[in-house]
Amino acid sequence: MPHQLEKRVLLEHAEDPALRTLDGYRRLAGGYETLERAYKEMEQDEVLKELEDSGLRGRGGAGFSMGKKASFLPRGEMAKYLCCNADESEPGAFKDRELMQRNPHQLIEGIAIAALAADAGHAFIFIRGEYDEQADILDAAVAEAYEAGYLGTNILGCHRDLELVVHRGAGAYICGEETALLDALEGKRGNPRLKPPFPAVQGLYGGPTLINNVETLSNVPHIVRHGAEWFKGFGTEQSPGTKVVSISGGVRRPGNYEVELGISTRELIYGLAGGPEEGHEIKAFFPGGSSSPVLTAEEGLDLPYSFEAMAEAGSMLGSGSIIVCDDRVSIPHLALRTARFYHHESCGKCVPCREGTNWTVKMLERMVRGEATPMDLDIVSSVQQNIIGHCLCVLGDSMAMPVGAMVRKYREEFEAVMADPELVLDPHAVVLGAPETLGATT
Amino acid sequence: MSPTGREVTITIDGREVAAVEGEMLHDAARKGDVEIPYFCYEPKLGDPVGACRMCLVEIEGIPKLQTSCSTPVREGMVVHTRTEQVKEAQSAVVEFLLVNHPLDCPVCDKGGECPLQDISYGWGPGKSRVIDEKRHFEKPIELSPLVAIDRERCILCYRCVRFSQEVAEDAQLQLIERGDRTFVGTFDERPYVAPFHGNITDICPVGALTSYTYRFRARPWDIEHAGSVCTLCPSQCNVSFTVRDEKVKRVVTRDNAEVDDGWICDRGRYGFEMFDAPERVRGPRLKGGGEASWDEALEAAAAGLRAAAGIEHTPVGSNSATPSRVAAIAGDASNEEGFLLQRIVREALGSPHLDSRPSRGPKADVLQRLAAPSVSARVREIDEADAILVLGTDPLHSSPILDLRVRKAIRRNGAKLVVATERPTALDGGAEAIARYAPGQAAHFVGELASAIGGAENVASPVAETLREAGKVVVIWGERIAREDGAAEALLEVAEATSMASTEGSGLLEIPDTTNARGLREAGVLPDAGPGLAETAAGKSTEEIREALISGELTGLILFGADPLRDFPDTPAWEEALTAADFVVSFSMHENATTAKADVVLPLETHAEKDGTVTHPDGRLQRVRPSASRPEGVLPNIIVLSELASQLGLNTGIDSQPTAFAALTEAVSFYNGIEDADIGGRGIRWQDRRPEVDQAVESDSPDTQRDAPTSMVQPNPSPRGVASAESLSTAPPPSNDGSLLLGTYRDLWAGPITELNPPLKFLAPQQRVELSLTDAERLGLNSGDQVRVSQNGNTIDAQVQIKERVPAGVAFMAEGVADGNANALLNGGPVQVTIEKRSEAGA
Repeated sequence: MPHQLEKRVLLEHAEDPALRTLDGYRRLAGGYETLERAYKEMEQDEVLKELEDSGLRGRGGAGFSMGKKASFLPRGEMAKYLCCNADESEPGAFKDRELMQRNPHQLIEGIAIAALAADAGHAFIFIRGEYDEQADILDAAVAEAYEAGYLGTNILGCHRDLELVVHRGAGAYICGEETALLDALEGKRGNPRLKPPFPAVQGLYGGPTLINNVETLSNVPHIVRHGAEWFKGFGTEQSPGTKVVSISGGVRRPGNYEVELGISTRELIYGLAGGPEEGHEIKAFFPGGSSSPVLTAEEGLDLPYSFEAMAEAGSMLGSGSIIVCDDRVSIPHLALRTARFYHHESCGKCVPCREGTNWTVKMLERMVRGEATPMDLDIVSSVQQNIIGHCLCVLGDSMAMPVGAMVRKYREEFEAVMADPELVLDPHAVVLGAPETLGATT
Repeated sequence: MSPTGREVTITIDGREVAAVEGEMLHDAARKGDVEIPYFCYEPKLGDPVGACRMCLVEIEGIPKLQTSCSTPVREGMVVHTRTEQVKEAQSAVVEFLLVNHPLDCPVCDKGGECPLQDISYGWGPGKSRVIDEKRHFEKPIELSPLVAIDRERCILCYRCVRFSQEVAEDAQLQLIERGDRTFVGTFDERPYVAPFHGNITDICPVGALTSYTYRFRARPWDIEHAGSVCTLCPSQCNVSFTVRDEKVKRVVTRDNAEVDDGWICDRGRYGFEMFDAPERVRGPRLKGGGEASWDEALEAAAAGLRAAAGIEHTPVGSNSATPSRVAAIAGDASNEEGFLLQRIVREALGSPHLDSRPSRGPKADVLQRLAAPSVSARVREIDEADAILVLGTDPLHSSPILDLRVRKAIRRNGAKLVVATERPTALDGGAEAIARYAPGQAAHFVGELASAIGGAENVASPVAETLREAGKVVVIWGERIAREDGAAEALLEVAEATSMASTEGSGLLEIPDTTNARGLREAGVLPDAGPGLAETAAGKSTEEIREALISGELTGLILFGADPLRDFPDTPAWEEALTAADFVVSFSMHENATTAKADVVLPLETHAEKDGTVTHPDGRLQRVRPSASRPEGVLPNIIVLSELASQLGLNTGIDSQPTAFAALTEAVSFYNGIEDADIGGRGIRWQDRRPEVDQAVESDSPDTQRDAPTSMVQPNPSPRGVASAESLSTAPPPSNDGSLLLGTYRDLWAGPITELNPPLKFLAPQQRVELSLTDAERLGLNSGDQVRVSQNGNTIDAQVQIKERVPAGVAFMAEGVADGNANALLNGGPVQVTIEKRSEAGA
């Protein structure tokens, strides 16, 4: 049974394995009824207006209005595309995996309706290569949807076509960046493109392209079914709707929890995820995946969990992935581990990210080995400043913001480790990434 | 956003700067004398990539710093390039770049001419905060036999990779690995062998890519840069010679968008060691006698020519009753050299027999019409063309830089390409329609094309369709099609059918067989036209000169920069002609089979040594400037010719380049008034010089619009070998003896270039006979088989290469290769050859 703090829309019936099949999706969730209504009764502008009015913000990290993004696509006879970004690779984020695994048809229906709004004839799900099982599930669901006439040519006799292809990525975090995703999809090296032009104007194969995250698109059938007003009934004014939050790290019940945006962060971490393990306290947490600046427990626990509150606190809600660090976590080691991830994943195209991530790792490695001086701490800080805002895409910032915040907020801890590397709390007490199990909903 | 052409005003660092709306801020700043540092930006490579982040600037109203290379200019934009925020960002980028750069400037060839060095000095922090170990690679290693790569110095600006992928389109260079482990390389570490690859050494902003021919040869502070023109092919790319101790050490680009777009091919770049090759003719030489003094040699030459001409006792200028028996052929020569040569032949030797073409070509009246400004395309017009027809030539081999230009037009401007040739070309992949005609059928095909554009349905229709629908049409055509009677006239019909004369941006652009063919024709080195293409008494063409030498009608020959035994069709006949001649004077840069048969050999300056002008195929006069010293025994070509004229009793009044140029421009009506200053560093098209010149030339020539020639084309009564696909629709029927029609072509690397320049030796082509799968099967041959190719008693050995795109019924072989030169088989017109396996032939 869902916890009383949860508000399940996307994850409704998630525990029932039958939901994965077309029959189950129809029976349990009234699946594809909305698609049928949208295709048969609605015009492109009606669908678009509903999405715009709902205020749905992108769930992939940037939080940009989904309807507004769709409205940027030029009208006309050119080939247009829709890409579902399922390259969920941010340490701490594992919500899309669960959404695709448990309810693939909800995503497919969302894509088909969004394609109507974008007037796209070709859609792709770019799924992270490691999500092999989920890709198989999607493949099976897509085949069912084709079979049932929800995809393909002349959908439901409405003279509209939509081809949907599940494309498996080859294993690079950068391909989750929307323009790198497009290059990878086109068969090129997955490197970010210069913006502008934005994908909405010139995206895949040079055509106007709408790119949305799995969770964003999974919201679409619900919004079109119940209307924008219903959707705005959840969450806050600036962060309407529910959000599937991945909670991991030093908590007793890590997993995905769907809640209304604006819920207190303390309730999320303590009430739903069970709080820290016996005998420990929460020291800090990443509110929106490993790329969000860490908040100390004092700073963050009592904030509402919303886009605006996290931004105001100098961090971000991002993809909605909370990584909790308890009092055993060594912040310098956490910084190194964070930096190593982004160094490993930097595509190398632009200089500040390529060299900045590499240099930061080398400096942090020296620090935890005790081979650094306090001056190095200033250099690390200044290097992070030199990265932020100077890169081609946000990957560089994704390291510089959390590492910069850690150095700023836990300077004494860095100095202590540098002075005596043996004085480490527990370098292994860091959990970055998804837990082994699927979380509390199982 | 592309430039709209609207003039706008922006403010940079408090100063108002005039700019064009939509152009990149970086370009606008540069024009306004504001320097913004950059590494990756290079408009020649296409759209900006914004990778290096060096050009970040502050734009009012935009919170984050923006890359000026990728920000289009808008009216009223206020930009700051020197604020604290900008300085910090730029300094940070330099610091980041140096995190992994070895800073081995003292031993780096780029040191002193290195953008990274300059920008570190100008915009960097001035001190290093990096104490960590830098990345390491094995270095330097061979990226190709000509280019070394030092991956530690590489700053991953992407320029070389963009060149390979988006300019040369060879797609060989790739970025391998990710992040700071990224390195530039090729698939499977194969050597990067491609005809333009040396350009990556020019665009590399650090010392990561260096040419083996220049590594450790000089330092920037003891070299000089001498701007000149490469005359190794008709492209006439603008180059700069790097000269140390008066010797050429390197050839680099000297951007001229009107000519080369800032690129040069590897022939031009690496073909300079031949200036000092052991084969170089270093002084005058007499047959059998070895070295001679200039006085002796010129006296001997004059005496021999006078004797051969039969004017021993006849004063210059008098009308001798006996026709002169001397002829001259020019190959590689400047305008002034050609002009002087024709004066010697016409005025001093009283002979009309003069040519500058390898075999034959159109009559003077047709040449006049082809030269009319209204139907001439300029190189730059390829960029903006709606449709491009490549006709009877493969630019990659005949004028390499135009291959890149056509690719650019397709890639960046969506130009539609159609190709009509005998042999498959390097550009076929980007063509909308391809037509293959059989060797010898060019004239017929072009005639068909003209009528197809006019609406007729025939084999040329698919090609014609693209041209008909296009507005601006540029036809790039190979001179060799005009060896066939009627081809040039048919081409003029194509010009008429596509309304070239009245369409701005449309025109014909010839790729001639030799570098300065246009200049030599315009200087009067033609059998039936003098300077300015003015008609004269008809003399003999190259082919006729050869036959007349054999028959004894002619007895003396001057060859100026021409090597018939290598370059002209029908080598056996030329052997015979040179043997039969009583007296041969050969002006040559290098010893070759022809100089071995000459009575007097006179040395020529190379294009790095000589002073003179050449005329680009689009009419652009360009200046070749002396850059390096001559070998001691070599004199300026103009002086030698002028001296020879004096010895023959003709006082030309020419004793220097300026006097020669003045005489030339005075004699060529449409060069009138052009001065050296007009040519400057970029050249000047004579067509652009003055509108009245245009009219003068137009009225000199039959009006293409008034009397469109319609009866010039004589269609072959049994049209053969014209097709719109990859096979000839009406291929020659397989003959019982298994013979095939021979098509020949000049390979980019065939000829002395790969023999006289040691670094290029590995590129020397071996003779291959290219066959279609059908013919190979019929003849029982496989790729790699050694065969003997025979024609009328002449044979050459070759290796079989089966090529999918070769039409059935035709075999292709290369001209000019060292062993098995296909010219040996070209016994007049299209010829049939038989092919036998060498084991069967008993070889």
